[in-house]
Amino acid sequence: MATPSTSTASSVWQRPWVRWAGPLLLVVVLAVMPLVLSEFANQTIARIGVYAVAVLGLNVVMGYTGQVSLGQIFFLGFGAYVTAYGVSNDWNIVLVFALACLAPAVAGLLVALAAARLGGLAIAMVTVALPIVGVPLAKRLSDFTGGSQGMSARFAEAPEGSGLYDDQWQLYIVLIIAGVVFLLTRNLVRGKYGRAFAIVKGNENVASSMGISPYRYKVLAFTIASLIGGVSGFLYMLVIQYTSPETMTFGHSISLLAAMVIGGAGSIVGSILGGAYYVLVPQLTNEVDPSLTALLQGALLLAVLFVLPGGLVSLPRALTRGRRPRAGRGSAAPPTTPSSTTGSGTAAEEPETERQGHA
Amino acid sequence: MGKFVQLVVDGLSTGSVYGAIALAIVLVNQATGLINFAQGGMAVLSTYVAWWLTTHDVPLILAILVSILFSLALGAVVERWLMRRFERGDPDTAVVVTIGLLTLITGICGWLFTYNNQQFPSLFSLDTVSFLGVSISIRSIGTTVVIVVAMLLLQGLFVGTKLGLALRAVAINPQSAAFSGLPVGRLLMVGWGLAAALGAVAGALVAPQLTLTPGMLDSTLVYALAAVILGGLTSPIGVVVAAWIIGILENLAAVYVPFIGFDLKVAVPFILIFVVLIVRPQGLFGRKVVVRV
Repeated sequence: MATPSTSTASSVWQRPWVRWAGPLLLVVVLAVMPLVLSEFANQTIARIGVYAVAVLGLNVVMGYTGQVSLGQIFFLGFGAYVTAYGVSNDWNIVLVFALACLAPAVAGLLVALAAARLGGLAIAMVTVALPIVGVPLAKRLSDFTGGSQGMSARFAEAPEGSGLYDDQWQLYIVLIIAGVVFLLTRNLVRGKYGRAFAIVKGNENVASSMGISPYRYKVLAFTIASLIGGVSGFLYMLVIQYTSPETMTFGHSISLLAAMVIGGAGSIVGSILGGAYYVLVPQLTNEVDPSLTALLQGALLLAVLFVLPGGLVSLPRALTRGRRPRAGRGSAAPPTTPSSTTGSGTAAEEPETERQGHA
Repeated sequence: MGKFVQLVVDGLSTGSVYGAIALAIVLVNQATGLINFAQGGMAVLSTYVAWWLTTHDVPLILAILVSILFSLALGAVVERWLMRRFERGDPDTAVVVTIGLLTLITGICGWLFTYNNQQFPSLFSLDTVSFLGVSISIRSIGTTVVIVVAMLLLQGLFVGTKLGLALRAVAINPQSAAFSGLPVGRLLMVGWGLAAALGAVAGALVAPQLTLTPGMLDSTLVYALAAVILGGLTSPIGVVVAAWIIGILENLAAVYVPFIGFDLKVAVPFILIFVVLIVRPQGLFGRKVVVRV
């Protein structure tokens, strides 16, 4: 995070001590931060952490594997409900955490096994049903979910001897769990599986001709995304301590997708920016005019897609490159119209190359 | 038995609404290869236009006609100024654009007309007619008939007119269509406009029942997408038939399957999809797509 990959060929960044100093500094800052900030700031950062994890999960299936999923919020809600149910029945918290990860993962696996059979955009069309079915389902299963009233559960009071306030303790737990999830996901998308995901995203036929089954990797990506969604649900319960069917409405699912695209699709740092967007921007717009939130969000999403297809994370690169007129601008018209025969091949690939932001 | 027939007729009418939105999605997909998640949202905006006119003492039928014209223009504008940039590019990006458009339009509706439910006057009377001892609501019959007529008109346009021929040429092969001198861009605008107009008809017909809110057609969109998956993207007739099947089945399931009930009937099309996917992955009526590397 502290070593931007955008700086080209500056040897300072390649020295080992600098490479280690950056993450170390980050860890120190994150360790001290909860102690010095106000309660409100701590809670806000904890909520950003929750949604950063949710956006990260969406990024695995959508940013890295190229499968549009409109159902990520369902897995967050599912994880939150599992956590709330477990806590209210006094189960061991480690067991609750494991269940909050596994149950959404299994649900995601089942959905993906069917949805990934359909090619192309069908995953988007099927996953749109998850929040829309999820809300009435949560209301119906009121024995487990508390119906429309929802459930609340408190399980993260700071231990007696630590001398920490609850909000500080919660933020530490969020930082640790989110940090581990981010680290594991970063390793996943940079390794063998990440390359397979990238090929499935780029061209499914090439993938299958190389012995990489698009079906299998789509299912895998979706399952991992669901699992990470479950983790974010656990964190959601930890921080917000209350969940209801409202948690997983269709609108929230769209907001999550908007956060991912605005933060930066296919980028780890972009997920954090997306989480920050998800939490902070509604807070700002609510102060101006709550009824404008959806309008602003839609306008912002479209503006980002037009001007900055790589999301906020590609902003530094776009600025350093922006001295010259951008190549993508001229070829905005579809290559089918006779007037734009030149550069029609690059027009389609332009967004692809701009989205490679593995920061 | 009377209840059963009544449920089937009501199901046909809601199914027709799903079918209209689904057909609009297929029209756009045939022409541009993308799925327009904002199809329902655009229809809601048109319905709001009609509602706004009725509150200013414009007769309902005239207001609906004006809203249909408005949606024709809206579809064309959206195609030209928003989607054109993303067509033929990465389809996933284009989908996200339509989702952004859905959010934007929902936001505009909420901002201009508030998020409160608005009463939209019904085009048909709420009475029922008795037919062979079964009472059937006039509104259900009327909705079904109007949408079927709209679809037939559209079919006539596509098959019987020169404009329709050009539209079909663009849908089948835009590049060759451009080479033979067709104004592809303008035809795409017409295609989007027609799809939006069909959505506007559906919106005006279903609004009295659902009451008008910015998110009125969100769940209808889900049904329509389910119909698109079941019918297959390549088959307009299949999509409409699938929409009717969904409309009827969900109505029957809501009444006769106690666990599903009225709140969970939205799950019915997706249970259906899961079953169909296992048996026929290409949809009920679709063809298997073969891609060349």
